[in-house]
Amino acid sequence: RVNSDGKPAKFQPPPKPVIIDKQKQREERRFLSPEFIPPRGRTDPLKFYIERKDMIQRRKVFSIPEFCVGHILAVTTADPYANDKASRFVGICIQRGGKGLGATFVLRNVIEDQGVEICYELYNPRIQAIEVLKLEKRLDDNLMYLRDALPEYSTFDVNMKPVSRLDHEEIPVNKLQVRMKPKPWSKRWERPKYNIKGIKFELPGKKMKEAQKWSQPWLEFDMLREYDTSKIEEKIWKEVSEELKK
Amino acid sequence: MMPIWTKSGKKHAVTLLKVQDCHVLRYVSKEESGGKTSKLLVGGKNGSPFSKSESAMEIFKEAGVPRKQKVTTFNVTDDALIKPGTPLYAAHFRPGQFVDVTAKTIGKGFQGVMKRWGFKGQPASHGQTKTHRRPGAISTNKASKVYRGKKMPGKMGNIYRTSFGLKVWRINTKHDIIYVNGSVPGHTNCLVKVRDSKLPTCKDSNKNPPFPTFFADGDEKLPEDLYDEEVFQFTDPSVTYT
Repeated sequence: RVNSDGKPAKFQPPPKPVIIDKQKQREERRFLSPEFIPPRGRTDPLKFYIERKDMIQRRKVFSIPEFCVGHILAVTTADPYANDKASRFVGICIQRGGKGLGATFVLRNVIEDQGVEICYELYNPRIQAIEVLKLEKRLDDNLMYLRDALPEYSTFDVNMKPVSRLDHEEIPVNKLQVRMKPKPWSKRWERPKYNIKGIKFELPGKKMKEAQKWSQPWLEFDMLREYDTSKIEEKIWKEVSEELKK
Repeated sequence: MMPIWTKSGKKHAVTLLKVQDCHVLRYVSKEESGGKTSKLLVGGKNGSPFSKSESAMEIFKEAGVPRKQKVTTFNVTDDALIKPGTPLYAAHFRPGQFVDVTAKTIGKGFQGVMKRWGFKGQPASHGQTKTHRRPGAISTNKASKVYRGKKMPGKMGNIYRTSFGLKVWRINTKHDIIYVNGSVPGHTNCLVKVRDSKLPTCKDSNKNPPFPTFFADGDEKLPEDLYDEEVFQFTDPSVTYT
Protein backbone atom coordinates (compact mmCIF):
# COMPACT_ATOMS: atom_id res chain seq x y z
CA ARG A 1 0.00 0.00 0.00
CA VAL A 2 1.11 3.52 -0.78
CA ASN A 3 0.05 6.75 0.89
CA SER A 4 -1.07 9.82 -1.05
CA ASP A 5 2.45 11.29 -0.49
CA GLY A 6 4.04 8.32 -2.26
CA LYS A 7 5.73 6.94 0.90
CA PRO A 8 4.86 3.40 2.18
CA ALA A 9 2.01 3.48 4.84
CA LYS A 10 2.95 2.86 8.49
CA PHE A 11 1.66 -0.38 9.90
CA GLN A 12 -1.51 0.30 11.85
CA PRO A 13 -2.54 -2.49 14.22
CA PRO A 14 -6.20 -3.61 14.00
CA PRO A 15 -8.57 -2.03 16.60
CA LYS A 16 -8.83 -3.92 19.89
CA PRO A 17 -12.06 -6.01 20.22
CA VAL A 18 -14.58 -4.62 22.74
CA ILE A 19 -15.62 -7.49 25.10
CA ILE A 20 -19.14 -7.00 26.49
CA ASP A 21 -19.26 -9.26 29.57
CA LYS A 22 -22.94 -10.25 29.49
CA GLN A 23 -22.78 -12.08 32.84
CA LYS A 24 -21.63 -8.92 34.61
CA GLN A 25 -24.46 -6.93 33.04
CA ARG A 26 -26.95 -9.55 34.17
CA GLU A 27 -25.67 -9.45 37.76
CA GLU A 28 -25.86 -5.69 37.93
CA ARG A 29 -29.63 -5.69 37.42
CA ARG A 30 -31.18 -6.29 40.85
CA PHE A 31 -34.90 -6.47 41.23
CA LEU A 32 -36.36 -6.57 44.72
CA SER A 33 -40.12 -7.08 44.78
CA PRO A 34 -41.72 -4.01 46.40
CA GLU A 35 -43.61 -6.06 49.01
CA PHE A 36 -40.34 -6.93 50.80
CA ILE A 37 -39.69 -3.31 51.75
CA PRO A 38 -41.27 -2.71 55.19
CA PRO A 39 -43.54 0.33 55.48
CA ARG A 40 -42.67 3.19 57.80
CA GLY A 41 -44.18 2.72 61.24
CA ARG A 42 -43.68 1.68 64.84
CA THR A 43 -43.97 -2.06 64.24
CA ASP A 44 -41.28 -4.35 65.62
CA PRO A 45 -38.74 -5.29 62.88
CA LEU A 46 -39.01 -8.88 64.17
CA LYS A 47 -42.49 -9.09 62.65
CA PHE A 48 -41.13 -8.14 59.19
CA TYR A 49 -38.28 -10.63 59.58
CA ILE A 50 -40.69 -13.46 60.29
CA GLU A 51 -42.97 -12.43 57.42
CA ARG A 52 -39.98 -12.35 55.09
CA LYS A 53 -38.99 -15.88 56.15
CA ASP A 54 -42.47 -17.09 55.20
CA MET A 55 -42.37 -15.22 51.88
CA ILE A 56 -38.96 -16.69 50.99
CA GLN A 57 -40.22 -20.15 51.95
CA ARG A 58 -43.14 -19.76 49.55
CA ARG A 59 -40.87 -18.46 46.78
CA LYS A 60 -38.64 -21.52 47.11
CA VAL A 61 -41.57 -23.82 46.42
CA PHE A 62 -43.39 -21.66 43.84
CA SER A 63 -41.42 -19.29 41.62
CA ILE A 64 -42.85 -15.77 41.39
CA PRO A 65 -41.36 -13.99 38.35
CA GLU A 66 -40.25 -10.39 38.61
CA PHE A 67 -42.80 -8.09 37.05
CA CYS A 68 -43.84 -4.45 37.17
CA VAL A 69 -46.92 -2.40 36.49
CA GLY A 70 -47.53 -2.52 32.73
CA HIS A 71 -46.44 -6.13 32.15
CA ILE A 72 -48.94 -8.54 30.66
CA LEU A 73 -49.40 -11.63 32.89
CA ALA A 74 -51.34 -14.89 32.77
CA VAL A 75 -52.37 -16.31 36.15
CA THR A 76 -53.81 -19.82 36.71
CA THR A 77 -55.65 -20.31 40.03
CA ALA A 78 -57.25 -23.40 41.55
CA ASP A 79 -61.03 -22.95 41.45
CA PRO A 80 -63.34 -25.56 42.99
CA TYR A 81 -66.25 -24.45 40.77
CA ALA A 82 -64.48 -24.35 37.40
CA ASN A 83 -64.57 -27.24 34.88
CA ASP A 84 -60.90 -28.20 35.06
CA LYS A 85 -60.67 -27.05 38.70
CA ALA A 86 -58.31 -24.34 37.38
CA SER A 87 -59.06 -20.94 35.83
CA ARG A 88 -56.66 -18.85 33.74
CA PHE A 89 -56.81 -15.08 33.39
CA VAL A 90 -54.67 -12.88 31.13
CA GLY A 91 -54.37 -9.15 31.73
CA ILE A 92 -52.18 -6.11 32.14
CA CYS A 93 -50.94 -5.38 35.65
CA ILE A 94 -52.32 -1.96 36.58
CA GLN A 95 -51.38 -1.78 40.24
CA ARG A 96 -49.22 -3.53 42.84
CA GLY A 97 -50.27 -2.95 46.43
CA GLY A 98 -49.83 -4.26 49.94
CA LYS A 99 -46.68 -5.23 51.85
CA GLY A 100 -45.53 -8.55 53.22
CA LEU A 101 -47.63 -11.69 52.75
CA GLY A 102 -50.75 -9.74 51.81
CA ALA A 103 -49.19 -8.23 48.68
CA THR A 104 -51.64 -8.00 45.76
CA PHE A 105 -51.61 -7.10 42.08
CA VAL A 106 -54.57 -6.15 39.89
CA LEU A 107 -54.87 -7.51 36.33
CA ARG A 108 -57.17 -5.83 33.83
CA ASN A 109 -58.56 -7.10 30.52
CA VAL A 110 -61.60 -6.47 28.34
CA ILE A 111 -63.45 -9.71 27.55
CA GLU A 112 -66.38 -9.54 25.10
CA ASP A 113 -66.71 -5.76 25.54
CA GLN A 114 -66.81 -6.05 29.33
CA GLY A 115 -63.89 -4.66 31.34
CA VAL A 116 -62.76 -7.15 33.99
CA GLU A 117 -60.27 -6.50 36.80
CA ILE A 118 -59.13 -9.24 39.15
CA CYS A 119 -57.06 -8.57 42.29
CA TYR A 120 -54.74 -11.53 43.03
CA GLU A 121 -52.70 -12.10 46.17
CA LEU A 122 -49.07 -12.98 45.37
CA TYR A 123 -48.70 -15.48 48.21
CA ASN A 124 -52.13 -17.13 47.98
CA PRO A 125 -51.55 -20.92 47.90
CA ARG A 126 -54.36 -21.36 45.34
CA ILE A 127 -52.30 -19.73 42.59
CA GLN A 128 -50.85 -22.50 40.41
CA ALA A 129 -48.75 -20.46 37.95
CA ILE A 130 -47.84 -16.87 37.07
CA GLU A 131 -46.38 -16.35 33.56
CA VAL A 132 -45.12 -13.08 32.20
CA LEU A 133 -46.32 -12.90 28.58
CA LYS A 134 -44.90 -9.49 27.68
CA LEU A 135 -42.40 -7.38 29.60
CA GLU A 136 -43.09 -3.74 29.02
CA LYS A 137 -42.91 -0.81 31.40
CA ARG A 138 -45.21 2.16 31.07
CA LEU A 139 -44.68 5.81 31.90
CA ASP A 140 -46.65 5.54 35.19
CA ASP A 141 -46.56 3.43 38.32
CA ASN A 142 -50.33 3.12 38.50
CA LEU A 143 -52.44 2.45 35.41
CA MET A 144 -55.87 2.90 37.04
CA TYR A 145 -56.69 5.47 34.35
CA LEU A 146 -57.16 2.62 31.88
CA ARG A 147 -60.67 2.33 33.32
CA ASP A 148 -61.54 5.68 31.72
CA ALA A 149 -59.51 5.12 28.57
CA LEU A 150 -60.95 3.72 25.33
CA PRO A 151 -61.40 -0.06 25.69
CA GLU A 152 -58.93 -0.81 22.90
CA TYR A 153 -56.04 0.06 25.26
CA SER A 154 -57.07 -2.61 27.78
CA THR A 155 -57.90 -5.48 25.41
CA PHE A 156 -55.34 -8.26 25.27
CA ASP A 157 -55.65 -11.58 23.49
CA VAL A 158 -56.47 -14.35 25.96
CA ASN A 159 -54.46 -16.89 23.94
CA MET A 160 -51.45 -14.62 23.50
CA LYS A 161 -48.09 -16.39 23.17
CA PRO A 162 -45.29 -15.24 25.48
CA VAL A 163 -43.08 -12.71 23.68
CA SER A 164 -39.51 -14.00 23.60
CA ARG A 165 -36.78 -11.74 24.88
CA LEU A 166 -33.12 -12.05 25.83
CA ASP A 167 -32.15 -12.09 29.45
CA HIS A 168 -29.73 -9.21 29.58
CA GLU A 169 -31.79 -6.68 27.66
CA GLU A 170 -33.33 -3.86 29.60
CA ILE A 171 -37.08 -3.79 30.00
CA PRO A 172 -38.43 -1.51 27.24
CA VAL A 173 -40.51 1.51 28.26
CA ASN A 174 -43.66 1.96 26.20
CA LYS A 175 -44.19 5.71 25.82
CA LEU A 176 -47.76 5.21 24.71
CA GLN A 177 -50.09 8.16 25.28
CA VAL A 178 -53.55 6.79 25.91
CA ARG A 179 -56.73 8.45 24.57
CA MET A 180 -59.56 8.80 27.06
CA LYS A 181 -63.32 8.46 26.91
CA PRO A 182 -65.24 11.75 27.31
CA LYS A 183 -65.49 13.11 30.82
CA PRO A 184 -66.76 12.37 33.59
CA TRP A 185 -63.94 10.04 34.66
CA SER A 186 -63.74 7.98 37.85
CA LYS A 187 -60.93 10.25 39.09
CA ARG A 188 -59.78 13.67 37.88
CA TRP A 189 -56.65 12.34 36.20
CA GLU A 190 -55.56 15.76 34.90
CA ARG A 191 -54.83 16.95 38.48
CA PRO A 192 -51.12 17.08 39.42
CA LYS A 193 -51.51 14.82 42.49
CA TYR A 194 -51.80 11.75 40.23
CA ASN A 195 -48.79 12.88 38.18
CA ILE A 196 -49.83 10.90 35.09
CA LYS A 197 -47.66 11.11 32.01
CA GLY A 198 -49.30 8.41 29.93
CA ILE A 199 -52.53 10.19 28.91
CA LYS A 200 -53.00 12.35 25.85
CA PHE A 201 -55.19 15.04 27.37
CA GLU A 202 -57.50 16.49 24.75
CA LEU A 203 -58.97 18.99 27.23
CA PRO A 204 -58.96 22.72 26.48
CA GLY A 205 -55.92 24.57 27.84
CA LYS A 206 -58.16 26.48 30.28
CA LYS A 207 -59.13 23.23 32.08
CA MET A 208 -55.51 22.11 32.28
CA LYS A 209 -54.52 25.45 33.80
CA GLU A 210 -57.40 25.19 36.29
CA ALA A 211 -56.24 21.71 37.29
CA GLN A 212 -52.79 23.12 38.16
CA LYS A 213 -54.49 25.13 40.94
CA TRP A 214 -54.47 21.91 43.01
CA SER A 215 -50.73 21.43 42.64
CA GLN A 216 -48.77 21.23 45.89
CA PRO A 217 -45.19 22.23 44.92
CA TRP A 218 -44.02 22.14 48.57
CA LEU A 219 -44.64 18.37 48.86
CA GLU A 220 -41.31 17.37 47.30
CA PHE A 221 -39.44 19.46 49.90
CA ASP A 222 -41.37 18.06 52.88
CA MET A 223 -38.73 16.35 55.02
CA LEU A 224 -41.16 14.42 57.20
CA ARG A 225 -42.45 12.56 54.13
CA GLU A 226 -38.99 11.39 53.08
CA TYR A 227 -38.52 7.63 53.33
CA ASP A 228 -35.10 6.64 52.07
CA THR A 229 -35.29 2.91 51.37
CA SER A 230 -31.91 2.43 49.63
CA LYS A 231 -30.05 1.00 52.65
CA ILE A 232 -32.99 -1.10 53.79
CA GLU A 233 -33.38 -2.41 50.22
CA GLU A 234 -29.72 -3.44 50.03
CA LYS A 235 -29.86 -5.32 53.32
CA ILE A 236 -33.09 -7.09 52.40
CA TRP A 237 -31.80 -7.87 48.87
CA LYS A 238 -28.70 -9.55 50.33
CA GLU A 239 -30.78 -11.52 52.82
CA VAL A 240 -33.35 -12.64 50.23
CA SER A 241 -30.85 -13.60 47.52
CA GLU A 242 -28.74 -15.61 49.99
CA GLU A 243 -31.77 -17.50 51.27
CA LEU A 244 -33.07 -18.24 47.76
CA LYS A 245 -29.69 -19.57 46.63
CA LYS A 246 -29.70 -22.23 49.37
CA MET B 1 -51.41 -8.61 61.63
CA MET B 2 -50.83 -11.11 58.85
CA PRO B 3 -52.85 -13.30 56.51
CA ILE B 4 -52.85 -17.07 57.03
CA TRP B 5 -54.28 -19.61 54.60
CA THR B 6 -55.91 -22.96 55.41
CA LYS B 7 -55.47 -26.13 53.33
CA SER B 8 -58.88 -25.55 51.74
CA GLY B 9 -57.70 -22.17 50.40
CA LYS B 10 -59.56 -19.86 52.82
CA LYS B 11 -57.79 -16.79 54.14
CA HIS B 12 -57.90 -15.70 57.79
CA ALA B 13 -56.36 -12.62 59.41
CA VAL B 14 -54.01 -13.34 62.28
CA THR B 15 -52.47 -11.20 65.06
CA LEU B 16 -48.92 -11.93 66.24
CA LEU B 17 -48.37 -11.83 70.00
CA LYS B 18 -44.84 -12.10 71.41
CA VAL B 19 -44.22 -13.65 74.83
CA GLN B 20 -41.46 -11.42 76.15
CA ASP B 21 -39.67 -12.36 79.44
CA CYS B 22 -42.69 -13.73 81.33
CA HIS B 23 -42.03 -15.04 84.82
CA VAL B 24 -44.28 -16.30 87.63
CA LEU B 25 -43.90 -13.84 90.51
CA ARG B 26 -45.92 -15.00 93.49
CA TYR B 27 -48.41 -17.59 94.70
CA VAL B 28 -51.47 -16.25 96.55
CA SER B 29 -53.45 -18.98 98.34
CA LYS B 30 -57.27 -19.20 98.35
CA GLU B 31 -57.62 -17.96 101.96
CA GLU B 32 -55.24 -15.03 101.44
CA SER B 33 -56.99 -13.70 98.35
CA GLY B 34 -60.52 -14.51 99.57
CA GLY B 35 -61.64 -15.85 96.16
CA LYS B 36 -62.79 -19.31 95.06
CA THR B 37 -59.40 -20.45 93.69
CA SER B 38 -55.77 -19.66 94.39
CA LYS B 39 -54.03 -17.08 92.25
CA LEU B 40 -50.67 -16.80 90.54
CA LEU B 41 -49.13 -13.39 89.88
CA VAL B 42 -47.35 -13.29 86.50
CA GLY B 43 -45.12 -10.48 85.25
CA GLY B 44 -44.49 -9.42 81.63
CA LYS B 45 -41.88 -7.39 79.78
CA ASN B 46 -38.67 -6.34 81.58
CA GLY B 47 -38.19 -2.70 82.58
CA SER B 48 -35.87 -0.42 84.54
CA PRO B 49 -35.88 -0.92 88.33
CA PHE B 50 -35.23 2.73 89.15
CA SER B 51 -38.67 4.24 88.60
CA LYS B 52 -40.47 2.07 91.16
CA SER B 53 -40.48 2.37 94.97
CA GLU B 54 -38.65 -0.15 97.19
CA SER B 55 -41.87 -1.70 98.49
CA ALA B 56 -43.12 -2.36 94.95
CA MET B 57 -39.78 -3.94 94.01
CA GLU B 58 -40.07 -6.49 96.87
CA ILE B 59 -42.19 -8.88 94.82
CA PHE B 60 -39.54 -9.00 92.08
CA LYS B 61 -36.68 -9.42 94.56
CA GLU B 62 -38.39 -12.40 96.27
CA ALA B 63 -38.91 -14.13 92.93
CA GLY B 64 -35.38 -13.30 91.77
CA VAL B 65 -36.52 -11.67 88.59
CA PRO B 66 -35.87 -8.24 86.93
CA ARG B 67 -38.59 -5.60 87.31
CA LYS B 68 -41.59 -6.29 85.05
CA GLN B 69 -43.65 -3.64 83.36
CA LYS B 70 -46.98 -5.41 83.76
CA VAL B 71 -48.20 -7.72 86.56
CA THR B 72 -51.45 -9.73 86.13
CA THR B 73 -53.28 -12.35 88.17
CA PHE B 74 -54.49 -15.70 86.89
CA ASN B 75 -57.05 -17.81 88.80
CA VAL B 76 -55.46 -21.24 88.98
CA THR B 77 -56.55 -24.63 90.43
CA ASP B 78 -54.34 -26.19 93.11
CA ASP B 79 -52.93 -28.91 90.84
CA ALA B 80 -51.63 -26.35 88.33
CA LEU B 81 -49.43 -24.32 90.68
CA ILE B 82 -45.99 -23.26 89.46
CA LYS B 83 -42.99 -22.23 91.54
CA PRO B 84 -42.39 -18.45 91.55
CA GLY B 85 -39.46 -17.53 89.33
CA THR B 86 -40.14 -20.02 86.53
CA PRO B 87 -40.14 -18.47 83.04
CA LEU B 88 -43.22 -18.93 80.87
CA TYR B 89 -42.93 -19.50 77.11
CA ALA B 90 -45.22 -19.34 74.09
CA ALA B 91 -45.23 -23.15 73.95
CA HIS B 92 -47.54 -23.05 76.98
CA PHE B 93 -50.28 -22.72 74.33
CA ARG B 94 -50.72 -25.20 71.49
CA PRO B 95 -52.24 -24.70 68.00
CA GLY B 96 -55.95 -25.54 67.99
CA GLN B 97 -56.56 -24.08 71.46
CA PHE B 98 -58.96 -21.22 72.07
CA VAL B 99 -57.78 -18.17 73.92
CA ASP B 100 -59.13 -14.92 75.44
CA VAL B 101 -57.00 -11.81 74.99
CA THR B 102 -57.34 -8.78 77.30
CA ALA B 103 -55.68 -5.42 76.78
CA LYS B 104 -56.25 -1.68 77.19
CA THR B 105 -57.98 -0.30 74.08
CA ILE B 106 -56.50 2.59 72.10
CA GLY B 107 -57.26 5.85 73.92
CA LYS B 108 -59.29 8.30 71.84
CA GLY B 109 -59.51 11.09 74.43
CA PHE B 110 -62.65 13.13 75.04
CA GLN B 111 -65.10 12.16 72.33
CA GLY B 112 -68.58 13.20 71.37
CA VAL B 113 -71.66 11.07 71.51
CA MET B 114 -71.64 10.10 67.80
CA LYS B 115 -68.21 8.50 67.91
CA ARG B 116 -68.41 7.18 71.45
CA TRP B 117 -71.88 5.59 71.38
CA GLY B 118 -72.80 5.58 67.70
CA PHE B 119 -75.67 8.06 67.89
CA LYS B 120 -77.11 9.21 64.56
CA GLY B 121 -76.87 12.98 65.15
CA GLN B 122 -78.98 15.41 63.15
CA PRO B 123 -79.23 16.27 59.41
CA ALA B 124 -76.63 18.61 57.92
CA SER B 125 -79.13 21.02 56.35
CA HIS B 126 -82.88 21.78 56.19
CA GLY B 127 -82.86 24.44 58.89
CA GLN B 128 -80.81 22.74 61.65
CA THR B 129 -79.37 25.58 63.81
CA LYS B 130 -76.02 24.64 65.37
CA THR B 131 -77.17 21.04 65.92
CA HIS B 132 -75.47 18.35 63.84
CA ARG B 133 -73.64 16.00 66.26
CA ARG B 134 -75.55 16.54 69.51
CA PRO B 135 -77.31 13.81 71.53
CA GLY B 136 -80.77 15.42 71.30
CA ALA B 137 -83.15 14.42 74.13
CA ILE B 138 -81.57 12.83 77.23
CA SER B 139 -84.67 11.66 79.12
CA THR B 140 -88.49 11.69 79.10
CA ASN B 141 -90.84 14.16 80.82
CA LYS B 142 -92.36 11.57 83.18
CA ALA B 143 -88.98 10.47 84.57
CA SER B 144 -88.06 14.08 85.50
CA LYS B 145 -84.48 12.93 85.99
CA VAL B 146 -81.60 11.61 83.95
CA TYR B 147 -80.92 7.90 84.57
CA ARG B 148 -77.53 6.76 85.82
CA GLY B 149 -75.37 5.45 83.02
CA LYS B 150 -76.92 7.73 80.39
CA LYS B 151 -74.77 7.64 77.27
CA MET B 152 -73.08 11.05 77.05
CA PRO B 153 -69.80 12.49 75.72
CA GLY B 154 -66.69 11.62 77.71
CA LYS B 155 -63.25 9.96 77.67
CA MET B 156 -63.27 7.08 75.19
CA GLY B 157 -60.85 4.16 75.06
CA ASN B 158 -57.89 3.32 77.32
CA ILE B 159 -59.98 0.75 79.22
CA TYR B 160 -59.49 -3.00 79.54
CA ARG B 161 -61.47 -5.05 77.04
CA THR B 162 -61.33 -8.76 76.11
CA SER B 163 -61.82 -10.58 72.82
CA PHE B 164 -63.13 -14.07 73.54
CA GLY B 165 -62.68 -17.40 71.80
CA LEU B 166 -59.72 -16.62 69.51
CA LYS B 167 -58.19 -19.69 67.88
CA VAL B 168 -54.45 -20.21 68.05
CA TRP B 169 -53.25 -21.10 64.52
CA ARG B 170 -49.50 -21.34 64.92
CA ILE B 171 -46.74 -21.05 67.52
CA ASN B 172 -43.11 -20.08 66.91
CA THR B 173 -41.04 -21.57 69.74
CA LYS B 174 -37.75 -19.91 68.69
CA HIS B 175 -39.03 -16.33 68.94
CA ASP B 176 -41.94 -17.11 71.34
CA ILE B 177 -44.73 -15.86 69.08
CA ILE B 178 -48.39 -16.89 69.21
CA TYR B 179 -50.50 -16.46 66.04
CA VAL B 180 -54.02 -15.68 67.22
CA ASN B 181 -57.08 -15.51 64.92
CA GLY B 182 -58.72 -12.14 64.29
CA SER B 183 -57.97 -8.81 65.94
CA VAL B 184 -56.98 -8.03 69.49
CA PRO B 185 -57.68 -4.87 71.56
CA GLY B 186 -54.84 -2.42 71.99
CA HIS B 187 -52.31 -0.55 69.81
CA THR B 188 -49.22 -2.15 68.17
CA ASN B 189 -46.59 -3.28 70.71
CA CYS B 190 -48.94 -2.92 73.70
CA LEU B 191 -48.96 -5.34 76.67
CA VAL B 192 -51.62 -8.01 76.51
CA LYS B 193 -52.93 -10.77 78.80
CA VAL B 194 -53.56 -14.15 77.11
CA ARG B 195 -55.64 -16.73 78.96
CA ASP B 196 -57.33 -20.07 78.17
CA SER B 197 -60.83 -19.37 76.92
CA LYS B 198 -63.71 -19.76 79.37
CA LEU B 199 -66.40 -19.97 76.67
CA PRO B 200 -68.52 -23.16 77.08
CA THR B 201 -68.19 -23.99 73.35
CA CYS B 202 -64.40 -23.99 73.56
CA LYS B 203 -64.05 -26.39 76.51
CA ASP B 204 -63.53 -29.47 74.29
CA SER B 205 -60.73 -28.06 72.15
CA ASN B 206 -58.48 -27.29 75.12
CA LYS B 207 -57.54 -30.97 75.42
CA ASN B 208 -54.01 -32.13 76.38
CA PRO B 209 -52.37 -28.75 76.88
CA PRO B 210 -48.87 -28.73 78.45
CA PHE B 211 -49.73 -29.00 82.17
CA PRO B 212 -48.92 -27.04 84.32
CA THR B 213 -46.79 -25.24 81.73
CA PHE B 214 -44.06 -25.83 79.13
CA PHE B 215 -40.63 -26.06 80.78
CA ALA B 216 -37.71 -25.13 78.49
CA ASP B 217 -35.15 -27.18 80.41
CA GLY B 218 -37.42 -30.28 80.37
CA ASP B 219 -37.15 -33.34 78.13
CA GLU B 220 -39.59 -32.17 75.45
CA LYS B 221 -37.83 -30.85 72.33
CA LEU B 222 -40.32 -28.98 70.16
CA PRO B 223 -39.76 -28.02 66.46
CA GLU B 224 -39.32 -24.33 65.70
CA ASP B 225 -42.85 -23.91 64.26
CA LEU B 226 -45.98 -25.63 65.52
CA TYR B 227 -48.93 -25.50 63.10
CA ASP B 228 -52.60 -26.33 63.45
CA GLU B 229 -53.77 -29.26 61.24
CA GLU B 230 -55.71 -27.03 58.86
CA VAL B 231 -53.01 -24.41 58.32
CA PHE B 232 -51.32 -24.34 54.91
CA GLN B 233 -47.57 -24.49 55.50
CA PHE B 234 -45.44 -22.71 52.90
CA THR B 235 -43.22 -25.78 52.44
CA ASP B 236 -46.14 -27.61 50.76
CA PRO B 237 -46.97 -27.23 47.03
CA SER B 238 -49.90 -25.05 45.93
CA VAL B 239 -53.45 -25.97 46.88
CA THR B 240 -55.43 -27.94 44.25
CA TYR B 241 -59.02 -29.15 44.22
CA THR B 242 -59.87 -32.61 42.93
